Amino acid sequence: MNETAPIVHVVDDDASFLTAISRLLRANGFSVKTYSSAHEFLAQREADTPGCVLADLRMPQMSGLDLQTALAQTPNPLPILFLTGHGDIPSTVRAMRDGAEDFLEKTAPKKKLLDAVTRALARDSREREARARRCELRARLDTLTEREFEVLAHVVRGQLNKQIAGDLGIHERTVKLHRTAITTKLKVQSVAELTRLTQEAGIFPGPVRTFPKGQ
Amino acid sequence: MEFATVLKWGHVAVWLIVVSLIVFVQLCLGAGRLWLAWTACGLRTFALLLNFLTGQNLNYREITHLVPVRFLGESVAAAKGVPNPWMLVGQLSLVVWLVFTIDAIITTWRRGDRERALAVGGSIVFFALVSSIQAPLVLWGIIQMPLSASLFFTGLVTVMGYELSSESVRASQLDRKLQESEAGLHEIEERMRLAVESADFGIWIRDLVQDEIWATDKWRALFGFSDTERLKLDKILERIHAEDQDKFRSVLEAARSEGSYEAEFRVVLPTGKVRWIGSHGRGEFDGTGKLILVRGVSHDITARRQAEEETQNSRREIAHIGRVSLMGQLASALAHEINQPLGAILRNAEAAELYLQNGSPDLEEIRAIFADIRKDGQRAGSVIDRMRALLKRQNLDKRLIDVSQIVGEVVVLVHSDVTARHVKFEVAVADRLPPVCGDAVHLQQVLLNLFGNAMDALDEAKTGDRRVSVTASLDGPQTIEIAVSDSGCGIPADKLQHIFDPFFTTKPKGMGMGLPISRTIIGAHGGRLWAENRPDGGASFRFTLPITEGSTAK
Repeated sequence: MNETAPIVHVVDDDASFLTAISRLLRANGFSVKTYSSAHEFLAQREADTPGCVLADLRMPQMSGLDLQTALAQTPNPLPILFLTGHGDIPSTVRAMRDGAEDFLEKTAPKKKLLDAVTRALARDSREREARARRCELRARLDTLTEREFEVLAHVVRGQLNKQIAGDLGIHERTVKLHRTAITTKLKVQSVAELTRLTQEAGIFPGPVRTFPKGQ
Repeated sequence: MEFATVLKWGHVAVWLIVVSLIVFVQLCLGAGRLWLAWTACGLRTFALLLNFLTGQNLNYREITHLVPVRFLGESVAAAKGVPNPWMLVGQLSLVVWLVFTIDAIITTWRRGDRERALAVGGSIVFFALVSSIQAPLVLWGIIQMPLSASLFFTGLVTVMGYELSSESVRASQLDRKLQESEAGLHEIEERMRLAVESADFGIWIRDLVQDEIWATDKWRALFGFSDTERLKLDKILERIHAEDQDKFRSVLEAARSEGSYEAEFRVVLPTGKVRWIGSHGRGEFDGTGKLILVRGVSHDITARRQAEEETQNSRREIAHIGRVSLMGQLASALAHEINQPLGAILRNAEAAELYLQNGSPDLEEIRAIFADIRKDGQRAGSVIDRMRALLKRQNLDKRLIDVSQIVGEVVVLVHSDVTARHVKFEVAVADRLPPVCGDAVHLQQVLLNLFGNAMDALDEAKTGDRRVSVTASLDGPQTIEIAVSDSGCGIPADKLQHIFDPFFTTKPKGMGMGLPISRTIIGAHGGRLWAENRPDGGASFRFTLPITEGSTAK
């Protein structure tokens, strides 16, 4: 994980405003990078650096909302904060529904703006931690064999060893061995802990569905 | 002896002639000093007394004999005897008379009436001179001829007669002229009265010397005074509207200082009704420049003022409508465009503030910030300028257009809507309607708006019978009337008077701009748009378009 300071990425086709707001943010101790278009930002962005995006809603070619959509599809999406000259209700609704951190007019009070940036960076930091943990858990999960993974899926559904053995057509003793291997590899003590871990990693219920019920 | 008696009585005639001539000069020329006249008359009267009291007559103390004298080729008798020295009194009276007459002539001459001065005065002077010189010369025997004053007087009387008769001719001419001018005056008075009555003018005269105000009945009616009420300035002032009191007073001052005035003010009648009065008048001054009289004319201009006010109101409303309707479309763009530079200015200023709080601020950076702020300020200004250019009012593009064609085109436009909403659409446009002068696009907008409203009304009403009808027909020789009616439930009475107000709407998504804009458009075409509820239910929106009038209006 990169330990560099978070960067506020400002995207606006209005050069004058771009300069002004970066001055203000820098004066308030933020690291700022400016881009005159959404394309420029997406091209220059260093993957997985902490920060947030401040984007103008109305821009030629790629609008702020388009940028939001594109950013969401990357593995490390940054929280996005919209700025606009004059916000209309439909854009605001769409932006907020799609998870925008905030929606501010360009003439919004300084405090509101700085608070929103601080909040966005905090959220990025939170999300980044969650992502890192998920990553680490996934790495642990990746050490499991295929059979062990199958057993894990049944365990987190709350099935007993006997049921699992029946479902998988293996010996109950073999199930016990797999379970021991799983808890060792994943460094957990209890079933409850195991369930929480899989949830954090976000692997189930997704993979569970690969085992049709009644089988 | 007989000759002496004749001569004696002859002096009575002379007295008469002298006195009457003095009176004549005095009356005819209207000149001459009175004391001279009286002196001459007095001396002549004294001479007449002496004529009877001394000697045989004034001329001779005693006539001794008569001698034949050749005079004008004839042999006449002339008296010979002792002259009466008192005769000089008579001659003196003649001299005074002469002086009086000459004085009168000079006055008359100076006055400019030269012809008459010469004719009357000159003849008198000539004869008076001749007779007053001849008599002593004859009497003292210096020349041989009879005393013939009467002969000279005959000439005088002739001149007087001529003068008198020409006077009387002139007098009769004057009389005729006077009669004519009196008739003319009457005619002028009648014409004046007619003009004043038809123009609805009230006339008033204020006499500042007598402190009286006279006014015609019409004027009294205008100001709400009865026909008999005594008019006083303070009473009139009471009638003037409180806000116009100062104006009215300054008008009185203007009449005093400038000699004339012109003003418009309101009067409040005893009934409480307010009336606009237009008034103008002139002052009349005496020799010292003091205002002695003011004459004025007042008339009722309420209708004109109301029309002006209405025009002004509607102009204001049009301006407002234009503004808000355009604002609806442009407000968002304007706010966006303006907020860009404003945002930049704000952020730059905030940054500069923070820099300055720093112990050793980067002045170069702060200078750059201020340059940017100035640039963005100018940018915001230019945005406003651009918007203002966009907001400039567009004129109507007026051409001769066919009403049936316009209606037809709009009906086609709404056809799909009509079908989708299951509305029965009836079109009844009269044949061969004359063309009107107007802007087709604007008029179609009005029709579209009215059709839309009509169909909305049907949706709200939810009645089984869903009908919208449009009719166009002649309404008199100068006007085409177009009506859009629906079978909805009509307009509630309390809303009927507000539906043309800007922003008044009964629809959840309505702007409240359709009808006011429509009314403005029709008004700009010289027509009228109004709404009414039909007796058999539903509303009807009607508008008129002038056929000839307004076709040239821009």
